[in-house]
Amino acid sequence: MNLFRAALAVEAGKARAARVLWATGILLTMGVAALAGGMVAAVRSGNAEVAAKMGPAAATGDWSALLAVAAQITAAGGLLAFGVGVSWLTGREFADRTISALFGLPVGRGTIATAKLAVYAGWALAVSAAVCLVLPVVGLLVGLGLPTAADAAGLARQFALGVLTALIAMPAGWAASLGRGLLPGIATAVGLLVVAQVVAIADVGGWIPFVAPAFWALAPSRATAAALVTVPLVPAAFGVATVWVWRRLQMDR
Amino acid sequence: MTDRLRLTGVTRAYRGGAGVRGVDLDVQAGEVHALVGLNGAGKSTLMKLMVGMLRPDAGELAVLGADVRVAGPDRWARVGAVIEYPLAYGELDGRTNLELAARLRGVPARRIRPMVDDVLAELDLHRYAGVPARRMSLGNKQRLGLAAALQHRPDLIVLDEPTNALDPAGIILLREALLRRAADGAGVLVSSHHLDEVARIATRITVIADGRVVGRLDPDGVDIERSFFALVHAATTSRARS
Repeated sequence: MNLFRAALAVEAGKARAARVLWATGILLTMGVAALAGGMVAAVRSGNAEVAAKMGPAAATGDWSALLAVAAQITAAGGLLAFGVGVSWLTGREFADRTISALFGLPVGRGTIATAKLAVYAGWALAVSAAVCLVLPVVGLLVGLGLPTAADAAGLARQFALGVLTALIAMPAGWAASLGRGLLPGIATAVGLLVVAQVVAIADVGGWIPFVAPAFWALAPSRATAAALVTVPLVPAAFGVATVWVWRRLQMDR
Repeated sequence: MTDRLRLTGVTRAYRGGAGVRGVDLDVQAGEVHALVGLNGAGKSTLMKLMVGMLRPDAGELAVLGADVRVAGPDRWARVGAVIEYPLAYGELDGRTNLELAARLRGVPARRIRPMVDDVLAELDLHRYAGVPARRMSLGNKQRLGLAAALQHRPDLIVLDEPTNALDPAGIILLREALLRRAADGAGVLVSSHHLDEVARIATRITVIADGRVVGRLDPDGVDIERSFFALVHAATTSRARS
């Protein structure tokens, strides 16, 4: 029997029926699209107050402005949304008390946890792609015209930012497993967001994996791209840690 | 006789001192072995140990002949258990829950559909096949969880308080389902507070008190309740003296 395939089929089936993942994905996609489109539309209509608040990157009111605003929202909102998603995937078994039914099975809990993380990766890819499909429509609706090749490259960066943000949210899944519920995971996602904001505002530590994707997406350069090498450390460390927690789990509390 | 389950000197203590101590217990092929005791006696702790929800501090625990710590997928595919909470995901309907449970127990895909149809009929769950589990009553969720544990015809069945929340019709359906499986060679271990219920199906009844096996009851005995309390009282009194 192929145990991982069985676990993946089960976890994918649960995820497809899960309102939480659908709602979170749609909220992130539509939220990024609506806020970025609204801001750029306001700038283009001559709203100086919004233009000043959005800074020089968005003040141009063109495709690059739309993508810059989308990147800022994705970096913050995405961290929270992906954190909620991975917390739900791992923590719901404890919150719903179904965890006790995941013992004494041919499919081990480490395999189940690995399948959960694989489903999370698939969901994050789908949501990141959805944002990139909706943004060009928003750009056309606010009158930006057809995107250039440079704008298309910007869209590809937006997709990569979505995926990288999902990777750095993975400590939330570990916290939900260790804390045996959704709230520890969501609290960890909020904590990561606070750390990222403080580092970004202080403009220090661009190599820190929790801010490196946002720095790179907003100001792509050789330096910010090099900092991305730290990002895979987060999913590697916390993916292994999550599977380890599930493998070693004892229902003694 | 074939061992389906064997515990030898199993000890597991929680922080604070509660737990089970030096428990010897076995379940043979073709029998329904009942574990009875008061709340907190250690029944659920023992059952958690049997499926790996807890690891023993000492002693040996063999599931279908293999040490529980190293038993492989082939062994676990022949086990069905419901301990604490049934496998019932609220967002999934009855049939999908059963299909996913079968996948997790390593049932080949081609066998799943007829197997689920059979158990839906056996436990009278057909009308809930398309109903999301979150809309089911507690009793029907329990029935669904029992169906998930029994549908693959396991050789070892471990059920913790399986009649909790079941209506009288559900209790009869479960009793018949367990007796059928035992007749086919499965070893069944059930824990319960309900002595009358246990006496109807059990081949053997083991009494547990204060984390220890304190005696056995005759399922055909005339005053099983009196015998049960006598055993529990004697065990707790002698422990208090020592």
